[in-house]
Amino acid sequence: MSFESDLLVWLPQLRRYARALTGDPAWADDLVQDTLECALNKWRWRAHSNLRAWLLTLLRHRFIDQLRARREIAFDDDGAPWQSLAAPAGEVDGLVLEEVQRALYRLPLEQREVLLLIALEELSYQEAASVLKVPVGTVMSRLSRARERMRLLLDEGEGHPAAVPERPSLSVVKK
Amino acid sequence: MSMNDRPDRIKTVPESGDQLRLLSALVDGELSDSERAEVEARLVSDPAAACRVTHYRAQKAALQALFPKPVTVPSLFVQRRTPWWRVGLAAVACLLVGAAFGLLLGQGRLGAEQPAFAQRADMAYVVYAPEARHPVEVGAADEAQLVAWLSRRLERPLSIPSLREYGFGLVGGRLLPGDAGPAAQFMYQNDGGERLTLYVTVFAKRELSFGTVRRDGRHTIYWASRGMGYALSGRGDEARLRMIAADTCNALGGHAEAWVG
Repeated sequence: MSFESDLLVWLPQLRRYARALTGDPAWADDLVQDTLECALNKWRWRAHSNLRAWLLTLLRHRFIDQLRARREIAFDDDGAPWQSLAAPAGEVDGLVLEEVQRALYRLPLEQREVLLLIALEELSYQEAASVLKVPVGTVMSRLSRARERMRLLLDEGEGHPAAVPERPSLSVVKK
Repeated sequence: MSMNDRPDRIKTVPESGDQLRLLSALVDGELSDSERAEVEARLVSDPAAACRVTHYRAQKAALQALFPKPVTVPSLFVQRRTPWWRVGLAAVACLLVGAAFGLLLGQGRLGAEQPAFAQRADMAYVVYAPEARHPVEVGAADEAQLVAWLSRRLERPLSIPSLREYGFGLVGGRLLPGDAGPAAQFMYQNDGGERLTLYVTVFAKRELSFGTVRRDGRHTIYWASRGMGYALSGRGDEARLRMIAADTCNALGGHAEAWVG
């Protein structure tokens, strides 16, 4: 067992999460690279912790810093990375993938990240709480709001994209 | 549901937040056996709730289809700016850590005597961290002036490490009487209002590896390096504070990796 082989185990998931979070493969690869560099520099003090959760936390901090640097990116900006993200055609369980993708990037960042950590990465609520540095109760309520919002966006997405009350911009969240 | 061609469309009154969280927890397998039985029983008689669960499961399946796990990963490693030598370095560090653990285990609680500056740092945290109106004498806006002033008073070139990484921004600093001369206290705060202080004073006696003062839910992690004594104080998770202390120690020219414990 070595640290770098442990890192390699989580690399695919880390990359997938970064892609889903940013909606931008190039940005995602930069994030993963920065995260790995940081992990290699710091891992000595983290020998006993949950490596995956720690990596996700590092990645998240980098993402938020970079978001701040880019200021806020509104969901409907032409320059927003997910505008140009190709979605696979097709449906899964009655949901059109392209619409799911569009709805995902209309979620506030706080909701998007918790939904991705749990529905995509399949972290436990406890692990997600440690990644996001919030109580489990907050994870549950954010997750629940995210799913409801996705449901509304997908149901109304057929013709009324503006009908959702909450402002769907991407706001910079606390670390 | 029969009125609609989409099974996931729900026309009923919105559920309460608690109920929605239970439905989510069902989808995520986070319910106890008894809770699950209860929620599943409800789904039978509540088609709206059942539709939600179906929709949540569909969302999950769709997200997993949208973002399949990448198969080809090592290419990313090849592209890294700092290549394999650093991995090698990490492996060497692993050996060092192993050796350090061995040393610490052998040492037991020898040298448990705590330096006076650690006690003072702990007390200074108690006094100033709760201060709402005047937590510092000089604010972070005048950081250059703050560093110049305290460096002059301590007669040592000081620097203020950044704790941004951990979400803590600098509030500012103040001058304090230490046990053998002046001391400086830098205060940091995160977005949640949680505060940490870094206490710095001259301490020429010896190098000190990490020690901890624990009192009433506070932790003060202290060390001494290059003629200076440092103490980082805060509340909450001690492991996190130790990690911040290790980073701070390195940022200030110390060698935390040799002291890890």
